[in-house]
Amino acid sequence: MQKQNLKLHNPFKNMENENGDIISDGGFGAILARAGIGKTSFLVQLAINSMLKEKNVLHISLDDPVKKINLWYREVFNHISEKYELSGINRLWDSILPHRFIQTLKVDGFSVPRLKERITDLTEQNIFTPKMIIIDGMPFDESVKENLDGLKDLANKFSIHVWFTIKTHRHEQPTAGGLPVQLENIHEMFEVAIQLIPENGKIHTKTLIGGEGRSKHPELHIDPSTMLIMEE
Amino acid sequence: MNNDIQKIRNIGISAHIDSGKTTLTERILYYTKRIHAIHDVKGKDGVGATMDSMELEKERGITIASAATYCEWNNHEINIIDTPGHVDFTIEVERSLRVLDGAILVLCSVGGVQSQSITVDMQMKRYKVPCIAFINKCDRSGANPYRVIDQLREKLGHNAVSMQIPIGLEEKLEGIVDLVAMKAVYFEGESGEKIIIKDIPDNLRTEAEEKREILIDAASLFSDKLTEAILEETEISDELIIDAVRIGTLERKLTPVFMGSAYKNKGVQTLLDAVTHLLPCPADIQNEALDIDDDEAPVILSSDPEKPVVALAFKLEDGQYGQLTYIRVYQGNLKKGSVIINTRNGRKVKIGRVARMHSDQMEEISAIPAGYIGALFGVECNSGDTLAAPDINISMTSMFIPDPVISLAINPIDNKSQERMSKALNRFTKEDPTFKTHVDDETGETIIEGMGELHLEVYIERMLREYKSEVIYDKPKVAYRETITQKAEFDYTHKKQTGGSGQYARVSGYIEPFFDDVFEFESKVVGGNIPTQYIPACEKGFKESMNKGPKMGFPVNGVKVVLNDGASHSVDSSDMAFKTASQAAFSNVYPKAKPVIMEPVMKVAVETPSEFQGAAMSLINQRRGMILGSQDEGSLCVIDSYVPLADMFGFSTVLRSATQGKAQYTMEFDTYKQVPKSVEEELIKEAEQEKKKRGV
Repeated sequence: MQKQNLKLHNPFKNMENENGDIISDGGFGAILARAGIGKTSFLVQLAINSMLKEKNVLHISLDDPVKKINLWYREVFNHISEKYELSGINRLWDSILPHRFIQTLKVDGFSVPRLKERITDLTEQNIFTPKMIIIDGMPFDESVKENLDGLKDLANKFSIHVWFTIKTHRHEQPTAGGLPVQLENIHEMFEVAIQLIPENGKIHTKTLIGGEGRSKHPELHIDPSTMLIMEE
Repeated sequence: MNNDIQKIRNIGISAHIDSGKTTLTERILYYTKRIHAIHDVKGKDGVGATMDSMELEKERGITIASAATYCEWNNHEINIIDTPGHVDFTIEVERSLRVLDGAILVLCSVGGVQSQSITVDMQMKRYKVPCIAFINKCDRSGANPYRVIDQLREKLGHNAVSMQIPIGLEEKLEGIVDLVAMKAVYFEGESGEKIIIKDIPDNLRTEAEEKREILIDAASLFSDKLTEAILEETEISDELIIDAVRIGTLERKLTPVFMGSAYKNKGVQTLLDAVTHLLPCPADIQNEALDIDDDEAPVILSSDPEKPVVALAFKLEDGQYGQLTYIRVYQGNLKKGSVIINTRNGRKVKIGRVARMHSDQMEEISAIPAGYIGALFGVECNSGDTLAAPDINISMTSMFIPDPVISLAINPIDNKSQERMSKALNRFTKEDPTFKTHVDDETGETIIEGMGELHLEVYIERMLREYKSEVIYDKPKVAYRETITQKAEFDYTHKKQTGGSGQYARVSGYIEPFFDDVFEFESKVVGGNIPTQYIPACEKGFKESMNKGPKMGFPVNGVKVVLNDGASHSVDSSDMAFKTASQAAFSNVYPKAKPVIMEPVMKVAVETPSEFQGAAMSLINQRRGMILGSQDEGSLCVIDSYVPLADMFGFSTVLRSATQGKAQYTMEFDTYKQVPKSVEEELIKEAEQEKKKRGV
């Protein structure tokens, strides 16, 4: 009941395809913002949305420990339940938790073969089969292309889609096409890219890639006090 | 007594069983002149090594109780605290690891990094204890200290760097080359007490220069001065290298490695030099306490002897002098004759005799200043208690002691054992706040309760070894609870008015789930329908009903009782009548409130080499576990999960066999959760069989 209630309040519903996902299997999505604007919080809400649909999410963090990531989820979930005045949230939390697995890797220890090894471990032993992967904190520098190529193969092999956080910087000039410099030469690999922009005490979203055709990208904003995504 | 805190070292010696920890400790005590003869662990003289106090430790391969002893070296005072090596004793581990400031990690040059080395290393990592490594048994056949250094790097992720190289190996071990002083060190005399310094033998010179180069390179990361000296190609002094290595060691970013053979009396004195040069003094370590008046907010303690006293009682011992309490003073100066407060119970404690202990010998002193370890006589306290000055209210450990989650019925085999068992249990409950005991009203059996299977097993064995009390016991039982899931109303009249003095009481109200505490009672009775004097009897009646839930007989948690009406009789009502009415009302209403069985769920963290991650996760999965995630920590990974305690029996054995003994786990109570229907049915079936067996 509570799950249904929350699904109705899904802020991403207008962006989703017929399968209830924003991007297709094997596809990439990105959330871009400067540090501290709410990239992780955005992705956590995407993840919770997926968990409510009983679709497994593998959350990979390259910066924070498992406990901290778990706390992120719990806090976002508490805010959501407060906003929609849900009761008995502990039971609901317990029921969606098996649909999430957190894997933390050190930035310098991150490699696609290693990740593949981990996913194979999880799936082969029937421990966890992800439908969506979140990669938080991967550096988008000169070496990123190689990682993305590897991840593309992995996403296709396991029929999953991957969301990334991309940290932008105030001083950087956009590319000729108007995209943040981090997406230069790799933007074609992404189905969706959403930028978070703080303005007048609110955090707005701007769709940089995607949003045409089947999925209409509505105007969303983030409430800075709770970091919850709202429709405009 | 040394009053310069810079010259104090509180250290632990951590090692895999049989890597020579006791022999090394024995040699340390001999060279520091604390003992005057060497007794080997399995020696022919029948005396045994000084620190080797508990047989059980050797047999099970774990250190259970930690003895403390002190010695002096190069004008430094070294307190050696023995550390428990098993993970199940979390409170004991925490207590002894927080008492020490640094550690020597002893490794066997043949066996290398073994499973227990991984365990003790993880503990040190967890409690951020800086350490140096000692590769022992270099005289043994197959000795290879370089392979052990590689293992320290690969298996434990240490930035291990050799401070010495051996002169000869196996039976040809003669001494060591000190890579800082670039001298050969030989240990001569009957017990290796004469240190002879010579030039490095020609055949080792090139190797020594290469290894020194690696050492300086590693150390330079921690000292700009050293880097400058390297770049400018000026002379590099010994102090410059040692200072840099010390910084790296204290930050836990560098592990200096020493080597030798304690049994053959080689390399121990140079290791002692390293303890004084490289391991931290109490002032180098930041110690935290909790402010009880401020919701246990952390408070930084200062080793200033002028500040109010804060000390931790970390071990109790029954000795020839009565109860001996080992304490470490973290702040202030604990003087003989002073009065302090035990923060756990607020009781005043007068400090009588103050001593410093060396195994079973003692030396009386007048005070124990901050940073020091000592012992008190005749102080009534428990292990883990904080003793603090009367004007402050802080505690070294959280006042929160989790309730035991597992119990075991024990029966002494005869009267003698019965008597000794009481003594032992009395001692153990004082030492360990997570270990509890009571007598079951129905069966008359003594029940011991604790935090895990091994926790209880070790106490049973200690009873036998230390107190010669033999007991028989059954399988351990999980501490299940009952709770209700919905509101239900009651209205019950207790009436017995046929002849003699009668009984009359009527209670009416409702019960509902309550999440903040175990039990809450509220009276909303107005107009004197239940006279005020009978309300406490009603509360008592309901509260007593909670001890044994009507569903399965487990204690009931999380119930609020609201009493809103009732009736009394001017003659026949009494406390007893209202109590009985309340108990009956609870029994009647309970099934309507949809009771469920709750089981303890443990937070389980498995630390395993990455290659066994899948195997370890699979084991958790098979045990109704919920895996939260996995964290990569170099060559190791930590799997965080929640697992019902009922499914954790025997976990250590299967985990060991699935990971070649390389994984270990910690387990602590997290919460109570409702059991699945299938488990509940199983429990009901078991209870019925139990009843039949008892003929109830």
